[in-house]
Amino acid sequence: MGMKYRRYLAGERIYGCSKCKTHLATIHSMISRAFNGQHGRAYLFDGVVNVVEGEPNDRQMTTGNHTVRDIYCVKCATVLGWKYDRAYEQSQQYKEGKYILERNLLVDVQ
Amino acid sequence: MRIPEPDNHSNLSSSYDFVSEAGPSCVTLDKASHSNGINKENGYSAPVSNGTTSNGSPTMGNGLAKHSSSIMRVSLPGTTLYDDPYLDREEFVRLVIQSLRDVGYIESAATLEAESGYSLEAPEVSEFRQHILRGAWADAEHLLVELGVTDADALLDARFLIGKQKYLELLEARKTTAALQVLRNDLAPYSTSSEQEELHVLSSLMMCSDPQDLRRRASWDGASGISRRQLLDDLQHYIPSSTMIPQRRFSTLLTQSREYQRLRCLYHNSAVDPSSSSLFSDHTCDKESFPRITTTILEVHSDEVWNVAWSHDGTHLASASKDKTAIIWRIGLEAEPSSRDCIAEFILRDHPYALGCLAWSLDDSILSTSADNLILLWNTKTGALMKTLENHGETVSALVWLPDGSGFMSGSLDRKIIFWDMEGELRESWNDIAIRVTDAAVTPDVRRLVAVGMGYNPPPALGTLARANVRDASPPIVSNGNGNAVGPRSPENRMIIYDLKTGQVELSVHMEGELTSVKISEDSRYALINHAPDEIHLWDLQEFRLARKFTGQRQGHHVIRSCFGGIDGNFVISGSEDRNVYVWHRDTGTLLEVLDGHGLGSVNSVAWNPRNKRMFASCSDDNTIRVWEAPVSAGELLRGFGISASEPEMIGKGKGKVKQPWTYNDGGL
Ligand SMILES: [Zn+2]
Repeated sequence: MGMKYRRYLAGERIYGCSKCKTHLATIHSMISRAFNGQHGRAYLFDGVVNVVEGEPNDRQMTTGNHTVRDIYCVKCATVLGWKYDRAYEQSQQYKEGKYILERNLLVDVQ
Repeated sequence: MRIPEPDNHSNLSSSYDFVSEAGPSCVTLDKASHSNGINKENGYSAPVSNGTTSNGSPTMGNGLAKHSSSIMRVSLPGTTLYDDPYLDREEFVRLVIQSLRDVGYIESAATLEAESGYSLEAPEVSEFRQHILRGAWADAEHLLVELGVTDADALLDARFLIGKQKYLELLEARKTTAALQVLRNDLAPYSTSSEQEELHVLSSLMMCSDPQDLRRRASWDGASGISRRQLLDDLQHYIPSSTMIPQRRFSTLLTQSREYQRLRCLYHNSAVDPSSSSLFSDHTCDKESFPRITTTILEVHSDEVWNVAWSHDGTHLASASKDKTAIIWRIGLEAEPSSRDCIAEFILRDHPYALGCLAWSLDDSILSTSADNLILLWNTKTGALMKTLENHGETVSALVWLPDGSGFMSGSLDRKIIFWDMEGELRESWNDIAIRVTDAAVTPDVRRLVAVGMGYNPPPALGTLARANVRDASPPIVSNGNGNAVGPRSPENRMIIYDLKTGQVELSVHMEGELTSVKISEDSRYALINHAPDEIHLWDLQEFRLARKFTGQRQGHHVIRSCFGGIDGNFVISGSEDRNVYVWHRDTGTLLEVLDGHGLGSVNSVAWNPRNKRMFASCSDDNTIRVWEAPVSAGELLRGFGISASEPEMIGKGKGKVKQPWTYNDGGL
């Protein structure tokens, strides 16, 4: 593996981990605000940084069955949301490879 | 120059030069000494403590004139020494004559002059030298034109130099009135504007309380010191060198040759040692004595080792690991690796995160470590945690104890550089600097701080941004295969050189790739910077330019560090993502060694032992640290394998003489 510094994002709005302020995503990469997570409102992002991905598992969601992985903050290990590996329903396949971050676990950072 | 008559005595004797500073002639003698008994006896002056005097025994002393008159002038074809058209015979012979005289072989010099028909220099040159060294200023000035100082400006400059010496000597002798006259009549009328300033300083010296004060304030060592000889050196600039050969010219050339050989010695790693150097052969260091085999593997860390640092006394190595510990290792001083103890003296736990940086205080009593945004200070004698500093908001990427002993500096991705005192109290903080610091270093002369990092793009004002977005249609973040994302504006990497005292930016340079390491050479001249992908840049801090690139090693997305090493920092070594250690010759960029041994993953950092120039350490993702040293010498191999306990007799018979095992011992380190 080797040593890496955490990535830092640039942009007018940067979302970070509410616990440790680690940069996670920018508003440029946000696809939708209309998602729900375990703690209420959640956002769908095209890409996020500084997260560790867990093992894949199948989860039944309101929009059908999906294979997802939990994502953890690389610094404080808080579970921040998940990543879609696979959507079983064709209409949901646009989510594959995308990330969900729970709004309540995010904070604006610089 | 050519002597008109090969055996013209007066000419020969008038060109005597007893004033050069070398060997036995270092005692300044005036012309009067020519007539003393010793001179008549053996042709040179030295009642001086040098072995050569005993050679001038009376039985040999047949007098210079008589001797040289019997010398036949040898006439040779052509003008060169051998075939090389650049090697002029006359120049060569005159340098030999100069050298012979410098060391006191006066008679040999005279013989050579007679035999070759060349003389060291014209009589007026030695007269001129005598005048300067005796302080006969007017006589010296009169000779300037004859010596080829014909340009009007050069003449004025040369007279100014002489006048200055004259003035200072008068002041030193407390002849203030006469000194004032020199200032007014000799110096002031012809001075240029830059000399005007100097005149101002010179006239202020009138106020000096005593000669000692004068010498100190003028940075001048007085009439009886070397100042007159220094004046001669300064005047040399105005006199053609073919007329007055620069002092000790032969020696200067030989010194240059030695320097050239040293620069060409790719594996140079031994101190320049008079006992081992010879004019008869070119200098070269043995490749075999380069540290390129692993002699010790340190295996205690339970995860990747990310950094290593030697104590200043070279007896301890500190390592920083992803396993959230640092270890202080004691590396025994025994030259023989197999009889050396290498033990983990202290395992420094209490780090909440993986470690990135390590730095020993100047006296090695404190080790500072960094784990994410925290800095910890450890007592290296007890292994006790002394203090935790929480001022940084992001990962600390640089820790450096300042060479002036004032404390240490930390750099961080939070765009701060903080200066701390010895106790870990905050002294000064540079906030909101232009980069997120990924490494920083301070020049040993404590003049500059060189920081590298990612440029910081401040968010634009909101109003302008909305429109800009519509117009520019900034591309969305694109996710790459690793789940990492690339922002709409990828951060710009920079090296920034600060004036350490004022914090002013001296230079800020945009660099293409990610920068992960910076080290400064011993002489404060070069900065060594790891630059992804796959390059290491050597920046010349004097001329503010990229001097050289080192290539071969692999560096993609990880923090890989490099360093200088060996005698005079002659080598550059770096970790690499291909599990090898890379070694280059600093001044040519030649890749010397690719050392394998570490297991899978990256070699993250390297550190050269500051005391033992034939030892360095590397650390790797394979959880280990390797200590690298020279292979046992060929002689030692022979001792180890060739001469076993049962064999000495056989060797004795076979070779006709018994070789003592210790004959081969090269003394080790
Ligand atoms: Zn976090």
